Amino acid sequence: MGKGTAFPFAAVVGQPDVKEALLIVLTNPHAGGVLIAGESGTAKSVLVRAMAELSADGGIVELPLNATEDMVFGHIDLEQAVTSGKKAFSPGILARADGRLLYVDEINLLRREVLNGILDAADRGVNLVEREGISFRHESRFTMVGTMNPAEGVLTPATLDRFGLFVMAGRETDAEARAEIMRRVLAYDRDPLAFAVLWREDTRQLAERVAQARALVEKTAVDAPMMQLAAQYCSRANCAGHRAELYLLEAAKAIAGLAGRDYLLPTDMERAACFVLPHRTRQMQSPLPPPPPEQSDPDDSPNPSDQPDSTEQPPPPQNAPTESEPSSDDADDGENRDDSQQPPQSDPSDDQDRTAEIDRNFSPVNLDASLPQDRFIRRGSGKRSLTRTDLKQGRYVRSFLPSGDVTDLAFDATLRAAAPYQSSRGGDCAINILKSDLRQKVREKRIGNTFLFVVDASGSMGARERMRAVKGAIYSLLQDAYQKRDQVGMIAFRRNSAEVLLPVTRSIDLAQKCLQQLPTGGKTPLAEGLDSALGQIRTLRQKDKAVQSVLLLVTDGRANIGLDGGADGVADALRLAEKIGESGVTCVVIDTETDFIKLGVARDIAARMGAAYYTLKELSDNTILRIAKNAV
Amino acid sequence: MRTGVYPFTAIVGQEEMKQALILNVINPSLGGVLIKGEKGTAKSTAVRAIADLLPAMRAVQGCRFRCDPEDPAHLCEDCAGRTKQGEALPDLSVRMKVVELPVSATEDRVVGTLDIEHAIKFGEKKFEPGILAQANRNILYVDEINLLDDHVVDVLLDAAAMGVNTVEREGVSYSHPARFVLVGTMNPEEGDIRPQLLDRFGLSVTVTGEHEPAQRVEVIKRRMAYEQDWAAFADTYRSGQEELGQAILRARRLLPQVGVSDALLSMVAKLAIQLGVDGHRADITLIKTAITLAALAGREQAGSADIRQAARLALPHRMRRRPFEEGALDWTAVEAALQD
Repeated sequence: MGKGTAFPFAAVVGQPDVKEALLIVLTNPHAGGVLIAGESGTAKSVLVRAMAELSADGGIVELPLNATEDMVFGHIDLEQAVTSGKKAFSPGILARADGRLLYVDEINLLRREVLNGILDAADRGVNLVEREGISFRHESRFTMVGTMNPAEGVLTPATLDRFGLFVMAGRETDAEARAEIMRRVLAYDRDPLAFAVLWREDTRQLAERVAQARALVEKTAVDAPMMQLAAQYCSRANCAGHRAELYLLEAAKAIAGLAGRDYLLPTDMERAACFVLPHRTRQMQSPLPPPPPEQSDPDDSPNPSDQPDSTEQPPPPQNAPTESEPSSDDADDGENRDDSQQPPQSDPSDDQDRTAEIDRNFSPVNLDASLPQDRFIRRGSGKRSLTRTDLKQGRYVRSFLPSGDVTDLAFDATLRAAAPYQSSRGGDCAINILKSDLRQKVREKRIGNTFLFVVDASGSMGARERMRAVKGAIYSLLQDAYQKRDQVGMIAFRRNSAEVLLPVTRSIDLAQKCLQQLPTGGKTPLAEGLDSALGQIRTLRQKDKAVQSVLLLVTDGRANIGLDGGADGVADALRLAEKIGESGVTCVVIDTETDFIKLGVARDIAARMGAAYYTLKELSDNTILRIAKNAV
Repeated sequence: MRTGVYPFTAIVGQEEMKQALILNVINPSLGGVLIKGEKGTAKSTAVRAIADLLPAMRAVQGCRFRCDPEDPAHLCEDCAGRTKQGEALPDLSVRMKVVELPVSATEDRVVGTLDIEHAIKFGEKKFEPGILAQANRNILYVDEINLLDDHVVDVLLDAAAMGVNTVEREGVSYSHPARFVLVGTMNPEEGDIRPQLLDRFGLSVTVTGEHEPAQRVEVIKRRMAYEQDWAAFADTYRSGQEELGQAILRARRLLPQVGVSDALLSMVAKLAIQLGVDGHRADITLIKTAITLAALAGREQAGSADIRQAARLALPHRMRRRPFEEGALDWTAVEAALQD
């Protein structure tokens, strides 16, 4: 459809880095493919799709997000099985991609299992299929090209490492360039065919340059000093494993080839490092505020001193916050959390209401809520996503042989299961299906867990800008929840009561607004807060039994008022904590007590709840909050 | 008694919504419209009414995707194959439809899937088209798009952006044209949609109920008249309807001729830079909307007044780029940029 009417590669304004990275992988399939990250509307997909006309061998195979596993890896050939009773292999997308480019748009939304399978095949150059009673292997040498918007979710460092090259796509900041973009898009929209003709010569020249570079890469020899240089780059960038060196050399060969040379120069390596190192550099420092910085083409004219000095690294990929250490920006706020060094200063009697800002530079925190005891029912599901076989919702990803009754029939898999035996079965229809053929659908629902935040908003929390850090931590957790499509609710307790600020909702925006406006002041009715949380959890369970809820309690534990205004705040709180523990809900306690003399109530509460326990300080140092359920 | 569609021109108020819909049917490449607002504000009435307003179009007879015989670049596999073999494609006249996507729709129904009946009867794989196939060259209406499953929204917007639906599921591998005007509605109180998805919508409007008592009375009066005697009601608006229909056709014809000056382009570029919008969709949509507005007004040149008007439709939903960000459009910045 519309073939030959894609927006021409050469007609894309700007994005020199993205273009160069794509030319490198076109030139040298051994460079390990490329991952392009960038905000929406920066011509990522346009450029990738335009690569088809530059590649000599058959262009691009695209993997849509809706692809089921059988279609990716291949499956039993239905028609053949029915007509001849033979178990033949029907190739999937990986077979089609052999010798070509495989493009996955929004790769960060693809299921992890599928992505890993694809990357494995890319590594080996072979696709091994063991499914539906067939065993098959075929060559599958392809170059992976992925695009993603980091705001939509992250890839793990291990996955990132599989990509040879990484590049950020930015927006144009020059008015004339932006105007030119509009001019060209308008012309293209008006008449795509005429537009393509206009750019035909440029496209031809570019394709020729790639073809020549390919030939040169074949002849390029790598000598020992170059290998040493590559090793130096990688060790100084603190890369794990040895993939980086190989990718670095292959990318450098492509860069040399594109420059018309069949030998390497140190500058080739320098340039290659701009693409090969950023996503695998494990460094101590990484400025990583949540918003992506304004960035267009930072590496346009690489400065030799840029690489690979670790302080001058290209910015780490925005999509790998799990990898990064706390941001240097946090240093300014450090004093707020390093209160342990300070003399005790808490002010529980503070009755003034104050509203703290959200500390938006709080280092990103990811919630790791893959609860181990659930693994068996969650098999086949993506990150923090629930597979619920009793609800016919979500994306159909694979099928399995059910042990009991079939509630959600996977017709395609059922047909394929029945197909080979048709000649012996007979019957009126072309396919005669027995009960043993029935296959159940495995569905993945991207909606995640329910997080109930129970936040201490008493006066003691307001002291020393502590609330700013607390809000920063919650904000960071909310961002992670947003990316993973979780539901959130929020309860705050202060003065004499607890208030459900936000009933559980998908709108994390609202949660953020509540957080923003949350004032601090008054006493600490911790018990009321826990009581309210317990009520919420019960309601949630009544609504939906399958829902996984996680309670996150943020408090300094300085409970000084009991239930219904009673005197024994701590005892009431501990009793309720025990109740919550008995209810079996997964809990996390974030202890904000930073005073010199610690009472440690929050820790006791955590123990009674069977909760994972973190201090705010730990949270700012650790980027992953593991919500493992401790034994009560 | 037979009741027909409520006439578009009989809708009281809601001028921005009406304009956004008109612009999209003149120029489907604008990328659809997102209508935000409470219930009972004539959203779905307006969408059905705009389709009814449009004259019939030509479509290939028997084609499941209603391919346009005069648009060789966007034919389905089947039609393209027939053309290649020198076959003339017989066509017929069809009307633009509103295809609805219910919130409960599953992904297989949206993108299409394996034809089970065919497979069981004949032991062959065949693609059964889904809602995206029906939507080709029509209006796809998604009520409460913010409540739709995320993965369905993903495939939906992907198809909308590409104009093609690629299916790789349940044993079938298929690709077909899916060019449609996407109209989504949402009530922001019930949860938002991701900013990245917002950006994929060309235009957005916010609708509220009429506050003026006289206007409210007029709404009720017209509704009652419509329900009492549709034919008579439709008669009252016939000439207005025809006029608007003609204006849309004229604008469609004029659209390719509308020009933009370099000064206007750089004005838009500066505005986008000043507002710090993500990527380039904002500028592109802004200029396209301005051009379409000019075409609707019968002018061959888009001007800064068109940009100002287009900004109201194309920019507000792009201001909130990240989750949790307040997304107010800074009108003084817009005005300042347009003054130069």
